[in-house]
Amino acid sequence: MSEQIVTVTSSLPAAAFLVPLVGGTLVFLGRKLQRAFWQGTALLASGITFLIGLRMSGQVLGGAVLTTWGNELRVDALSALMVVVIGGGGFLATLYSVRYVTQPGLLTRAGAETTARRMPTFYGLVLWFLATMVWGCVTNNIVMLYVAVEATTLTSGLLVAFYWDRRALEAGYKYLMLLTIGITFALLGCVLLYASAAATQQIDGGKALLISEVRHVAHLIPAGTALLIVAFLVIGFGTKAGIAPFHPWLPDAHAEAPTPVSVLLSGVMIKMAMYALARTVSIFYPSWPQLTVFAVALGTFTMVLGIVMALTQDDLKRLLAYSSVSQMGYVLVGLGLGTYLGCYGGLFHLLNHAIYKALLFMCVGAVIYATGIRKVSELGGLARSMPVTSACFFLGALAIAGFPPLNGFMSKLTIYLALAKAGLWWACAIAIGASVLTMVVLVRAAYSVFWGSPHGAALAQLQVREVPVVMWVPMVFLAAACVVLGIFPQAPFPLLDKAAAVLATVGR
Amino acid sequence: MNPLALNAQLIETLSMVMVITSVAAVEIRRLRLAAVAYSAQALLIVGLLLSFAAVNPSLYWWAGTAFLTKAVLTPWFLFRFIGKTQERELPPLIGFAPSVMVAAVLMIGFYRLTHSQIALLAPTEMAQQEVFRTNLAVASTVFALGLYCVLTRRDAIKTVIGLCLLENGVHLSLVSLAPELPETALFGVATEVVVTVFLLLYVIAGVRQEFGTTDTLALKELQW
Repeated sequence: MSEQIVTVTSSLPAAAFLVPLVGGTLVFLGRKLQRAFWQGTALLASGITFLIGLRMSGQVLGGAVLTTWGNELRVDALSALMVVVIGGGGFLATLYSVRYVTQPGLLTRAGAETTARRMPTFYGLVLWFLATMVWGCVTNNIVMLYVAVEATTLTSGLLVAFYWDRRALEAGYKYLMLLTIGITFALLGCVLLYASAAATQQIDGGKALLISEVRHVAHLIPAGTALLIVAFLVIGFGTKAGIAPFHPWLPDAHAEAPTPVSVLLSGVMIKMAMYALARTVSIFYPSWPQLTVFAVALGTFTMVLGIVMALTQDDLKRLLAYSSVSQMGYVLVGLGLGTYLGCYGGLFHLLNHAIYKALLFMCVGAVIYATGIRKVSELGGLARSMPVTSACFFLGALAIAGFPPLNGFMSKLTIYLALAKAGLWWACAIAIGASVLTMVVLVRAAYSVFWGSPHGAALAQLQVREVPVVMWVPMVFLAAACVVLGIFPQAPFPLLDKAAAVLATVGR
Repeated sequence: MNPLALNAQLIETLSMVMVITSVAAVEIRRLRLAAVAYSAQALLIVGLLLSFAAVNPSLYWWAGTAFLTKAVLTPWFLFRFIGKTQERELPPLIGFAPSVMVAAVLMIGFYRLTHSQIALLAPTEMAQQEVFRTNLAVASTVFALGLYCVLTRRDAIKTVIGLCLLENGVHLSLVSLAPELPETALFGVATEVVVTVFLLLYVIAGVRQEFGTTDTLALKELQW
């Protein structure tokens, strides 16, 4: 991989987050206008962000690194991959929401009038949320990375509490409070990293803020300080990424937010935090490879705790949220290994989890849309009345369980191989065990909800019908992606290969 | 930057008074008085920033930003919120006497620990010199007191005050750790704290309306 990298000045990195930012502002300014305007703006802005992500990926694959405003924004393969995931997830969640939010009770758990009044706020915040996530992935400034990650909390805090009832308010309070405390540690970590890099006197003050420059002097930072920085970053960004034991906010927030927001939180946001963690901590790997074992241990703990907690859940959305904790454990194990194969597996799993977790949350949202029920024990036999949703959920459940030939199998296999190659057999065994448990949890829930005999009086009185086309189209698209990426895992290879090379700092 | 040009006595006095106001903000049970203590603490930060600005003129901007965000907007939000609520905070998890003792231990412990282990926290030569050393020790003490407040107080308003202390601690450490931080980055950091406080109080107002209390232990709808 001695390929020449060319730095190209481009406005695309700035456009990637300015488009949704301006879009969100337009929605707020046009709050007196019609629903079509808010939804159209949201679709257009998120769609353009996705296209910009694809365009930047194309340029990065050509061997370029895109920069804007000096070196303030910097897009390499890893950043481009993240923008594609955020833009794609944002667009599909917005498309899904177009009908979802029209059902009174699903956006506000209140009447149609309140729903209509709150709708522009919803779309405005969703676009700002997307903008802050993209900003975090394109910035090259260590302090701005913290600012962007905290900004994602602020833009999504009110989305989590959107229903404004007891459950939503509790989730919103915990979300804002716990994440802000956690992220403050990340600020300390980022500032210490900057100060330590500047103190090496190998780069001047301004450049010590740039992650791409700090990488080169990380080995000169004293061991004690480096350890402190890593600890602060793991607590800070790890809280946001849902890493155990910093995860307690996650099941509450992901379950209580309106479903399109759950899709964004579980499908996209926690990945963005994992990106921030990997981007910053990985710079210490070459000098302190012992960190890899710590990261793998934390990852395996997270994957086991998450799936054990998911096993005990009756609420479908909480079940999925806990499974997200578990899956982030896999991503952490992969990226934490620091080898090329580990990073490749981790990033592939990050992409795959974004796809099937978005799919599963959309399916659960479809069940809630059709029945108003979200408890496994009160549902059953929906396969006949909701064939598309049922097929999509099963596919998603099998994919997340790592069933061949779906995409989850490919990325998990890569992570297992990476662990084996690194000689960490204990972690490999735990990861496989957690995967079996995932199969039990998800397939059991899918069977119970769609094939099992109907339970509960509430369901018996309902005339259940399949959800509208505009809701199931994104679901079918994501389900198809699970199959295609499983059968043709070479499709995302060029981008993942380059992105993994950015993070892989421990051997190859 | 020549630390000798700094008025060390003034900075140390301000620092000590700031630690005392932080303890007061944590321990005073009357919410309005606790908010007053917090406001005084914020003003002292501005004073400290101005004192350090003698050797680093860019800190005048920092002092301006801190004044607006920490000493004007945040107290305004707090007083507006507290104005409508009961006077005393809900009893915290630790009683008054043991809490004051814990705060005192934290205060002395963290101050001494940071002051003696400064090389770990402050990799730069400048930060290891005396005035900056004191500054970092005070910053970490305020940070620890804020964390203690957030972890042990039941009243949601008090947890917000704790969060503000936590953030102020980090903000203060920037004087020694990152004196050349560009204004844009600093503005971003400071603005976010205010927006966080505003949003948290907005959500807590909803909690008070729905639950009839600001007791965080009453938030039991979502368990496991």
